[in-house]
Amino acid sequence: MTAISTSVAGVPARERSRWARALRYPEAVTGLAIVVLLIALGLLAPWIAPYGFDAQTADSFAGPSASHLLGTDELGRDILTRVLYGIRQDVFVAGLAVPLGAVVGTLLGLLCGLHRIVDTILERVFDVLLAFTALVLGVAVSATAIGPGMTSIVVTVVLVNVPLFGRLTRTAVRGQRTRDYVVAAEVIGTSRIRVLLRHILPNALDSLIVQAALSLSMAVFIEGAMSFVGLGISPPAPSLGALLRTSANFVNQSPWYALGPIIVVVALVLGFNLIADGLNKGLLRR
Amino acid sequence: MIRYALRRVPSAILVLLVASVVVFAVPRLTQGDAVTALAGPDATEETRTAIRQGLGLDQNVVLQYVHWLRGLVTGDLGTSYIRKVPAVEAIGTALTQTITLTCAALLLAVVLGALGGVLLGTSRRPLVTRPVGALVSLSFALPPYVTGVLLVLALAVTVRLLPAGGYVGFGDDAGLAFRSLLMPALCLALPAVAVFARFLGASIRQVMDEDFVRTGVAKGLPRRRLVSAHIVPNALPPVLAVLGIQVGQMLGGAIVVEAIFAWHGIGDLLVNSVLNRDYVLVQDLLLLTVAVFVVVQTLTDLAHAAVDPRVRLEA
Repeated sequence: MTAISTSVAGVPARERSRWARALRYPEAVTGLAIVVLLIALGLLAPWIAPYGFDAQTADSFAGPSASHLLGTDELGRDILTRVLYGIRQDVFVAGLAVPLGAVVGTLLGLLCGLHRIVDTILERVFDVLLAFTALVLGVAVSATAIGPGMTSIVVTVVLVNVPLFGRLTRTAVRGQRTRDYVVAAEVIGTSRIRVLLRHILPNALDSLIVQAALSLSMAVFIEGAMSFVGLGISPPAPSLGALLRTSANFVNQSPWYALGPIIVVVALVLGFNLIADGLNKGLLRR
Repeated sequence: MIRYALRRVPSAILVLLVASVVVFAVPRLTQGDAVTALAGPDATEETRTAIRQGLGLDQNVVLQYVHWLRGLVTGDLGTSYIRKVPAVEAIGTALTQTITLTCAALLLAVVLGALGGVLLGTSRRPLVTRPVGALVSLSFALPPYVTGVLLVLALAVTVRLLPAGGYVGFGDDAGLAFRSLLMPALCLALPAVAVFARFLGASIRQVMDEDFVRTGVAKGLPRRRLVSAHIVPNALPPVLAVLGIQVGQMLGGAIVVEAIFAWHGIGDLLVNSVLNRDYVLVQDLLLLTVAVFVVVQTLTDLAHAAVDPRVRLEA
C-alpha cells in the first residue's frame, strides 16, 4: 500500500483537488486516454469515416486493405465506417442513460434519509429492480410497448442504474448520519433537506463517481448484448452489438469481420473499468 | 439462525410477489396486443372476442392475476398461443439445455475462480500475481458475446477442434455433447471466474493478516497446510454471497451465450417469445428467471449466516 498522506499531527491533510486525487494512479489516466480517443472517433464519425455507413460496394467479405482498413461486410460496406458509427450509438446510450439513472438513483437514495417509511418502500423497490438482472430487465423492457430498439436500451440502462446509485447513496447517508458534523448541522437548525444536499451528498460523491465509471462500462455491455440477441439496435443501423452478431453469422466467410467491433468493445469496456479501478484507488482508499 | 431466516425469507417472498406483479404488467403495457398478434389485422370482431375469451383476457385484471398465480402454484403455466403447446412443455424442453449449460459454467467458475483467487491471495511473487491479475481483469472486461466470437474463431474456424454451435444431449452422443458444451460453458463462466477470483483473493489477503495465521507460521505449519486448512476456509464465507449473485446472473448471461452457440434454452426461448409476442411464455419465463435469482441469493445468504454468526447477529 502506498498511501500518500501528508498529514500534520494526525490530521489527514485535505488535500489536493478531487481531480488531482482521481488521476493520481496510472490506470485512471490510461483508461481515460483510451475512452476519450474512442469517444472522439465516434462523435466525429460523420466527418472522419471514409465512406457512408450504408454505402455498398460489390466487394463483399474483403480482408483489411488500404482502402478498407478493417475489410468489408456481407454487402461490401466498409467495416471501419460502421464501427465508428457504432461507437457513436454507444456514446449516445451511455451519455444519456447513465447520467439519468445516476441522478434519479441518487435522489431516491437521498430520499431514503428523509423518512423511515420512505426508506423501507424504496429499499424494496431497489430489491425488486436488482432481482431482474441487467439483461433480463432488457428483455422485460423490450416486451412492453417500448418494443425492441434504441429506446429500450436507454430505458434498460436507466433502470439498471437507479438501484445501484440508490443503494450506494442510501448507505452513504446512513454512514454519515451519526457523524459529528451532521449532528452539529442539525443542532443549529439546518433543515433535513439542506443537510442531505449540502453536507452528506458531497461526502458521498467519491463513491458515486467510481460507480459512474463502472456504469458507463456496463452501458456499453448492455447495448452490445441487447443488440446482439436482436432486442436492441437492429442491423441496417450500425451498432457494435449488431455488428458482432452479423460477424458471428459470417465467421466462416470472413474471420476479419469480427476484429474491428471486438477491439472497440473490449477497449471501451476495459477503458471504463481502468478508470473505475484508478478512481477507486485514488478517491476511496485512504 | 431461525430468527435470521424468519427475517430474510419473508423479505425474499415480498420481492418475488412485487416482481410477479411487474412481470404480469409487462405484456399488458404493450400496444399491439396479443389478440391482434394472434387473429391478424383483418379478423372480424367475433373472432377477436372468441380469442379474447379463450385467453381469459375479457376478465377483470385482478382476476387474471389471481388465476395466473394459482396456475403457477398448481403447475399450470398456461398455453403458449403462438406455439400451441402448454407453456410447461416448452419451458421444460428449454430448461434441460439451460441447466446443462449453467451447471457446467458454475463448475468451471468455481474451479478456475478458486485457483485464481488462491494464487492472487497467497502469492507475493509479481511473476505470478501480475499475469494472473491481468487475466482476471481481462476476463472481467470481456463480455460473453466477445469471448464467444473469439472462441469460435480460434477453436472452431481456425483450428477445427470443437463444434461452432448447437446443443447435443448427453444421452445421444456423450463425447460430442461434452465437446459442444465446452465453449458455451467457458464463455458463460468467465465473468463469474473473474469476480470470484478477485473477491477470494482480497478475502484471503485479509485473513492472512489475522493472528491465527501468524501463530500457524510460528509453530511451523507447512505453508500448503496453512493455506488449505486455515486460510481458505476462513476466507470463503464472505465470497459465498458474491458467488450467489453470479449464479443468479448466469440466466441473464445464458440469453447471450445461447444466441452465440445456437442453443435453444431458456434465454433463446425468452428472446423469441418477446419477438413473437408470445406473452404467456414471456410472463412465465421472466418470473422464472427472477425467482431463480431471488431463491439462489436467499439460499447463499442463509448459508453465509449459518457458517458465520457475525452475519446473523449483525443484521
